[in-house]
Amino acid sequence: MKDFLKVSPLRILERSTHKELGKGNLGVLMARAGVGKTSCLINIAFDRLFREEKLVHISLKDTPEKVTSHYHVIFYYIGKVLDMENEYEVRALLDRNRIILAYLKESFDLNRLRKNLKNLVEEIDFIPYTLIVDGVDFPEAGRDMFEGFRGIAKEFDLEVWFSALSHRHITEVNERGIPFPCNNLDDLFSLIIQLDSTQSGVFLRLLKDHDSERIPDAMVRLDPNSFLAME
Amino acid sequence: MVDDIQYLRNIGISAHIDSGKTTLTERILYYTKRIFAVHEVKGKDGVGAKMDSMDLEKERGITISSAATYCEWKGHKINIIDTPGHVDFTIEVERSLKVLDGAILVLCAVGGVQSQSITVDRQMNRYKVPRVAFVNKCDRAGANPYRVLDQLRQRLNHNAILMQIPIGLEGSFSGVIDLVSMKAIYFEGAFGEEVKTGEIPSPLLHETVAKREEMLDAASMFSDELMQAILDDSVTEELIHKAVRKGTISRQITPVFIGSAYKNMGVQPVLDAVTHYLPSPAEVENSALDMDNGEKMVSLSSDPDDPLVALAFKLEVTKYGQLSYLRIYQGAIARGDNLVNTRDRKKIKVGRLLRMHADEMEDISRAGAGDIVALFGVNCFSGDTFTDGRLNYSMSSIFVPEPVISLSISPKDNRSDTNVAKALKRFIREDPTFQSRVDEESGQTIISGMGELHLEIYVERMKREFGAEVETGIPQVAYRETISQRTEFNYTHKKQTGGAGQYGRVAGFMEPSEEGVYEFINQVKGGVIPTEFIPTIDKGFRSCLKKGLVIGFPVLGMRITVNDGQHHVVDSSERAFFQAAVGAFKQAYLKAKPLILEPIMRVSVECPSEFQGSVMSSINQRRGLIMSSAEDGVFATVEAEVPLAEMFGYATTLRSLTQGKAEFTMEFSRYSKVPESLAEELKLRRRERS
Repeated sequence: MKDFLKVSPLRILERSTHKELGKGNLGVLMARAGVGKTSCLINIAFDRLFREEKLVHISLKDTPEKVTSHYHVIFYYIGKVLDMENEYEVRALLDRNRIILAYLKESFDLNRLRKNLKNLVEEIDFIPYTLIVDGVDFPEAGRDMFEGFRGIAKEFDLEVWFSALSHRHITEVNERGIPFPCNNLDDLFSLIIQLDSTQSGVFLRLLKDHDSERIPDAMVRLDPNSFLAME
Repeated sequence: MVDDIQYLRNIGISAHIDSGKTTLTERILYYTKRIFAVHEVKGKDGVGAKMDSMDLEKERGITISSAATYCEWKGHKINIIDTPGHVDFTIEVERSLKVLDGAILVLCAVGGVQSQSITVDRQMNRYKVPRVAFVNKCDRAGANPYRVLDQLRQRLNHNAILMQIPIGLEGSFSGVIDLVSMKAIYFEGAFGEEVKTGEIPSPLLHETVAKREEMLDAASMFSDELMQAILDDSVTEELIHKAVRKGTISRQITPVFIGSAYKNMGVQPVLDAVTHYLPSPAEVENSALDMDNGEKMVSLSSDPDDPLVALAFKLEVTKYGQLSYLRIYQGAIARGDNLVNTRDRKKIKVGRLLRMHADEMEDISRAGAGDIVALFGVNCFSGDTFTDGRLNYSMSSIFVPEPVISLSISPKDNRSDTNVAKALKRFIREDPTFQSRVDEESGQTIISGMGELHLEIYVERMKREFGAEVETGIPQVAYRETISQRTEFNYTHKKQTGGAGQYGRVAGFMEPSEEGVYEFINQVKGGVIPTEFIPTIDKGFRSCLKKGLVIGFPVLGMRITVNDGQHHVVDSSERAFFQAAVGAFKQAYLKAKPLILEPIMRVSVECPSEFQGSVMSSINQRRGLIMSSAEDGVFATVEAEVPLAEMFGYATTLRSLTQGKAEFTMEFSRYSKVPESLAEELKLRRRERS
């Protein structure tokens, strides 16, 4: 079996200063609608799971069944790319390290999340390394929510990856080159990655690398079906 | 016989336990004049609802076995199968879904889409059953049909469309507004039998217009004609019905109706919806397997003049003999006809042909394609296919889950001893998920089924219906064994004890099979084992699978390849090769690193959010794996996988943990390897027994 980390989209971080997001920090994956944000985010989740780290996937829009089926679809492609023989066992192993928390019909609030994470840690000894948060409406959420998430990241000693929807028609970019909807929030995020679909393929681009002034010229080309890095 | 199949509907009523489906059925029977008084499920009059014909059902207020009934509504003939809501009885739900063309999904306006609704919905998807939804109990405190609509969309992924909106809710629920006719509908008379229409109350006018627009938007996706009419402002009721019907039958729309069956409100419009939106048998594609043509899949026609194909989907043994419920897919059955059972090719003569009305019956002389009837005195099993002999078709078998739990029973006295045997014989015929066997070692009778409640009901039925009192043992998990590595065998069975000897050698290998089923591969070349002995070798290996050598439970997932052997012209026989296979199995099995497997259940717990932590902890303590938790308002649904062995008594634990505010369902998910410590314990128990 091939090594997942060789095809992980997070290879984008190979040239970054810390090589990873790191505990206590927030990271965001930005893309326009339909480019494959959720799939790419799930690959980021797989990057952590293949490192045998525990992960909580938080969905603000989809039911757990839907999220699980997203994971299954992506895993199917991973299985093919990695030439996995014991697919069933690997999946069972990864499933053990992932819990999905879904907040349907605007049930989400930070206190509720904090309580649920506390339950996971205290009641079942599930100590996550990463939170994957899908479905946050960035313009709607406001700065307070992300500051709250930063508090959670520090309190529970974990990293948090978000997905953010960008729009073709909103071209606002701040002085550091960060586009909408992260242009007013970039100080809260340690890593900002953009997923772009062009005629020549699907690419990941690093827009912010922790406190580094100079962004490494890193770009990774992804397979448009599996969203895995092309070697 | 139904004159025109277009006016026939075969529907089921399925839902979570206590959503009020039996009450809804009771009202339907009342409005269609099949009964002349209304009795509640747990009514004070002690009569019980019509569809709950078993004493036990009346007592517990839950429906245990499906009862079929027939009624007529506005020129349509409707066969209704009432189905159980508890997950332990899902074989009943599965069986009825197989023969149904459509269903009413009953949801509680307070509880919403609960775990069992999700299970039932999954089953309906498996059988491609179009449905209409009925949001019941809108008169209850906390009723919110809009929340249920959202849940239908979010949790069940339905394109759910409101066809009505409520006039008031909870205590002030007084009727509905029909978004098709744009009229208010009220239900008057002692039991809501008088349907009165009126103008839309002005405070609701704005909301009605908005909701109608939403409905039209969704419906117009299925009809260009309707889309054009919307643009021309010339929408008719007929155009809407046609479009919604198309969307519903293709399962791309779920029309949603609201009411309160208990308060006699909203039932008649649901009956109208059944006739308007659910398909007739002619609009449903059914297929069978042609047994004379390598089990090739063939389409059935729903033409009463074609050769007969019918499926026995439910059996009941009454005091007058066996009653077999049949769905006729093609052709017709008349009293006096000869039918052929595809399974054993035996002929039977149709004596009494009946249309069922819960536990009452009506004699009829003929029934045609699409209809559901019952035959008296026909000796068959559930799932058997009947033809008129011109075809040798079998309906694809109904999915039957493996039993996961067993219980030893011992009769309390001699009288009970005889009656237990009779009862078991009957139950096995009625229910393929119920099994019984005699344990060779202990001599005890072991019954197996789908859950504690499932077996409990049968034990109770033995007592009530057969006068057989039994003592029960502790519920036992249905463990399985499998192997984990390829191992070769080469075994010679040789016996010379005077007279003809026995000689047979088989060689090959056993290996794990990913599909989880037993496979036998013959790779013998050059006639070293004569062809006529190969099936016997297969049979020999099969006989060993019934009882693994580690803890004596059945063996799953093994592929046997025989590639060499030897025979003797005089001493080789079927018996010798059978024994050689048994010897080969014993030789290789323990070297193939056998594992013990246990059933893992998919458990879903619904609880108020504040109990999420304790629920997770209780699952964790039971070797459970938490998969997810979904928060929806003030409720949380925790999904987990838990070994069945750890689930005994969970209902009591959960009740005390959550002050009785949580409930759970579980269904079989898969088999998984038991932890080493438990494997050792099971082996020790086995050694102590023998």
